[in-house]
Amino acid sequence: MRPFRYARPNELTDALSLLAEHGSDARVLAGGTDVLVRLRLGHLRPGIVVDVKHIGELRADIVETEGRLRIGARAVMTDIIADLRIRRYFPALVEAAAVVGSVQIRNRATLAGNICNASPAADTAPVLLAHGATVNLIASSGPRHVPLHEFFVGPGRTVLGPSELVESIDLPLASGKTGAAFGRVTRRRGVDLATINLCCLVTESGRVRFGFGAVGPRPFVVEDDLSAVASAEADTGAPAGGSGRASQDAALDRLLAHATPISDVRANRDYRVAMLSVMIRRTLDAATGRLRLMQSGA
Amino acid sequence: MSAIPIALRVNGRGHALDVRPHHTLLEVLRDQIGLTGTKECCSEGECGACTVLLDGRAVTSCLVLAVEAEGADVVTIEGLAAGGRLDRLQQSFIDAGAVQCGFCIPGMIVAAKYLLTTNPHPTVDEIQNGLSGNLCRCGGYSRIIDAVASAARSDR
Amino acid sequence: METSWVGRSAPRDGGVDRVTGAQQYVADIHLANVLHVKLVHLNCARARIAGIDTANAARVDGVRCIMTAADLPQPVPRYGPVREDRPVLAVGETKFFGEPVAAVAAETEDAAEAAAALIGVDHEELPAVLSVDAALDPAAPLVQDPALRANDPLAQTNLLGEWRFTWGEPADARADCIVENDYSFPMVTHFAIEPHGFLAAPDPEGVTIWSPIQHPYILQRVVASALGWPVSRVRVIAPDPGGGFGGKGWPKFEPLMAFLALRTGRPVRLVLTLEETFQQVRRTSARAHVRTGFDLAGRLVFQDIHADFLVGAYADIGGRVVSKAGYAACGPYRTPHARITARAVLSHTTPSTAFRGFGTPQASWAVESQLNAAAAKLGIDPVEIRLRNVPARGEAFIPGETPADGEWDSALRHAAREIGWQEPLARRRGRGISLGVKSSATASASFALVRLHYDGSASVLSGTSDMGQGARTVLKQIAAQELGIPLERIAVVMGDTSVVPFDSSTSASRSTVFMGNAIVKACRDIKDTLQRMAAETFAVGEDAVTAANGYVRVGGRELTYDQLLKSHFGPPRGEVIGIGQERNPFVADHPLGGKPAFWELMCAAAEVEVDPDTGMVQITRLALVSDIGKALNPQQVEAQDEGAAVMGLGHTFMEQLLLDDHGRIRNLGALDYRIPTIQDVPSSLHSVLIENADGPGPYGAKGAGEGGTLAIAAAVGAAVNQAAGVEIRDLPLTPERVWRAICEREGAPATTVARRS
Repeated sequence: MRPFRYARPNELTDALSLLAEHGSDARVLAGGTDVLVRLRLGHLRPGIVVDVKHIGELRADIVETEGRLRIGARAVMTDIIADLRIRRYFPALVEAAAVVGSVQIRNRATLAGNICNASPAADTAPVLLAHGATVNLIASSGPRHVPLHEFFVGPGRTVLGPSELVESIDLPLASGKTGAAFGRVTRRRGVDLATINLCCLVTESGRVRFGFGAVGPRPFVVEDDLSAVASAEADTGAPAGGSGRASQDAALDRLLAHATPISDVRANRDYRVAMLSVMIRRTLDAATGRLRLMQSGA
Repeated sequence: MSAIPIALRVNGRGHALDVRPHHTLLEVLRDQIGLTGTKECCSEGECGACTVLLDGRAVTSCLVLAVEAEGADVVTIEGLAAGGRLDRLQQSFIDAGAVQCGFCIPGMIVAAKYLLTTNPHPTVDEIQNGLSGNLCRCGGYSRIIDAVASAARSDR
Repeated sequence: METSWVGRSAPRDGGVDRVTGAQQYVADIHLANVLHVKLVHLNCARARIAGIDTANAARVDGVRCIMTAADLPQPVPRYGPVREDRPVLAVGETKFFGEPVAAVAAETEDAAEAAAALIGVDHEELPAVLSVDAALDPAAPLVQDPALRANDPLAQTNLLGEWRFTWGEPADARADCIVENDYSFPMVTHFAIEPHGFLAAPDPEGVTIWSPIQHPYILQRVVASALGWPVSRVRVIAPDPGGGFGGKGWPKFEPLMAFLALRTGRPVRLVLTLEETFQQVRRTSARAHVRTGFDLAGRLVFQDIHADFLVGAYADIGGRVVSKAGYAACGPYRTPHARITARAVLSHTTPSTAFRGFGTPQASWAVESQLNAAAAKLGIDPVEIRLRNVPARGEAFIPGETPADGEWDSALRHAAREIGWQEPLARRRGRGISLGVKSSATASASFALVRLHYDGSASVLSGTSDMGQGARTVLKQIAAQELGIPLERIAVVMGDTSVVPFDSSTSASRSTVFMGNAIVKACRDIKDTLQRMAAETFAVGEDAVTAANGYVRVGGRELTYDQLLKSHFGPPRGEVIGIGQERNPFVADHPLGGKPAFWELMCAAAEVEVDPDTGMVQITRLALVSDIGKALNPQQVEAQDEGAAVMGLGHTFMEQLLLDDHGRIRNLGALDYRIPTIQDVPSSLHSVLIENADGPGPYGAKGAGEGGTLAIAAAVGAAVNQAAGVEIRDLPLTPERVWRAICEREGAPATTVARRS
């Protein structure tokens, strides 16, 4: 690795002024599971690395506040997976976080770092998007709150300014009942980057939201109304037949059309398209199943 | 770039040393402190050969800068055998025939140690999940699973 | 009471060191005053080197030496185990992505890395030959300079070698059922968990090399040859490799390190990154066109095999990989008529080298798949069709060659039973079975020394490499058995050419047989000497003395060995040294240089479940049956078989090196080159050992360790093909490939909306 300087500020103001002072020559370091790989490969060549893990104002815990769960910037995947409130209200996030690398990676990787790295294939992104997450940023000029769907700009790029930090990520607690499920396709059962990943969220009113990953330059969210089909299934408990299924297929195909996957070393374009189509249905089934469980009071 | 002084505990013993910011904990453990039991393979957190416990949590030390370990408590493979007696995991790895070339073993055992600390009676699935970040090229993994399960049982 | 030291699963020698982190691999060895080396290579496979600017690099603080081809003796020394074709550093042109053009030696790794980054290589990229078709195109550039291939009739081509084996009358053979297909086997890399590392230091006699080399004596002669020295001046110390699999068999950067050590006058150290390791070693990829003829009962009439193997830019051991694979390409089957053409094709890629199974996994994939295709066409069960073709013990299946040396039909029956072959198959599941046979070592030699010490303990000196297969343990068990000495009182010394006697290699599953027999003979030599000693001491004839199981018996008297030695030598003490050798002679006119000492046979049977929507495959059951003669250490043999099988699952499902147009490896490193993890293992994996004591090794042992890689792909491939209703003939069976085959079978375009599953 090329040499660099290292700073470990204890206060937010110090951190922000360091970032302002060094601009693009500085790199923020949280869990390091992405940054150190890129440093080693020479893809990042900062003059100074700013370690944010000791900044007092950045929390490592999860706080319930005003109808949302606020995940601190320093919270790591292991703790998010273990949190009882996340497990209860956001099981899809648990599913996604649980496949981010290995145990060793999850013990270090922060959720904030995962979204700042902005890989189009980040496993947590589709889930956060489907749930309408908001990113709370802080700069010397003050805070700003960016909906996650506006946060990602392109592969590896976000709206984060050069002297701005993520302070926390908010997940709104749903007012009604919802069901959500995460899914992904990989090349092997073991630890792997996703060929495609997605999260489906269904609401009682029949709205369906999908967060998609690895099928475009950035993770994104789409939404549609499958109320006719969703409620028919809820009443009878059986999959809709005939024309109900056809209209559901048509609705899902409309959502699919937003995806723009590429061919790369992991998979070809047509396979990604086909897998998205398969996984849309599987996650919809799983999410609908969870919604029904909630509705039955389980 | 000048060196930064850090103090940390490794296997229960305090160390004060100067480290370069761009050197990883793995490099410092091996080259400065002289504990070569922890191995270097992929250097990008994918193979698990460099696994150590950092403040009680299993991490890939190739992805931790040495400076980040300031004030930390580190346990490496050398720290498991107490008073000349093998840890039950170390013994069960030998007994199960899970050790072949041995290069993956230090990281594997430390990761298994962490698993049993957080989940003393894991199912096969949980063992697989807990060791999913540790690659072995010699064996078929089944003996590693047996070794961990056996060590878990022996602790009942 | 007699104890049996063989046939028991004695705990692995070195096991404690490995679980405590005490085991010293090459990267753990600390040499005082060492210089750290970093290599420089270009960002493409083939380029003409116009000039190398080292001025900026030389100014980096701590740099002690920068070496390029111009700094070596001229003409630049070339090395290689068979052909000395590889320059110590690239001369004039790089031939593969990763070939070093310069080396830096500095006081610290940081300095070496910084300096290496500052070396400017003025170069012009040239078109690279990256495939068999590209290499054989008449307009293709020659990978190797014809001037360096004197007396080679193929010098004006990109063929390294071509081997033809024919018997019977293949041109006239008539068959009722003919199956003809093309198969391919990918480029894969060893990915031992220990990357390569090398140390070298000048010493009073010459130079010492530390390398986790599987064949220390081959390395010794190759380095000596590159230096122009007698072998007596080169010492090779071989720490136990952290995984070899053939990738650490043949010299890589040791000659360069020797030159650096001599130039600087200091010890030098080079540890490759995993990416650099991938650039240096791989398996020979292959494609085969096979035309196989059967009668209506499924008996083979002819096999017509044309196989092209893509070797890399330098020969390494690539020629032998191909010749051996071609020779036994027909598999363990009675083949009345055969025509085999096997070609080794040069390319601007990583020099391919030995890799577990050598070239046989590639051939097995094709030939076993042909049997399955014929079975389907003829309506014959895949187990049955093999039973009808497998030779009986003692029957030659290659004319004039070492005959079948096992009950190979029983391997099939065992495997079929293990997998529940007759049970009804669940939906989306399929089963497959495959045999695989590999020639073991042919002409080779092992020498062993055993020293019986004054106190009755012993040391075994052996040139075998323990890379995880447990050689040290097994050799110790043999000595314990032969001398009647407990394991704890025996030391095994390996890995130092100054100390241990000559051994050809640790390869071809030969060590248990060759080194094992050499040790048996050395122990016998000791016992003969003890007999003479006792006869002399007690003034009796030698035939009145027996030496066995740790005791010498003379008349009614019984002495332990140490009591005899004490009695014989008295206070000045002494020892008894036994020498043994096991040699298979070189036969000049044999295609392989000699007959195989034994055949290594493995049968694999698999049951899989396929998800037709995603192409993902789960192995629900896997059975491996090895015919090994005698398991000297059953646990170690089983562990080897399991490991070989899971390694085989790698090339079956997920491993392939992908090259771009510049000949660069796109998936370099652990992130995108995927090998099986603990979550990718079969739900059930059962290993069975057939022990008929019918091998040429100690106690009837044969060798083992490679079998698993031979048969896995074909067995699993057959199961996948059955489960998915497809016929895939290219590896690896990635989910995408399986999915694509299913789509094509259904005649559906790939973008069809998936049905509800």
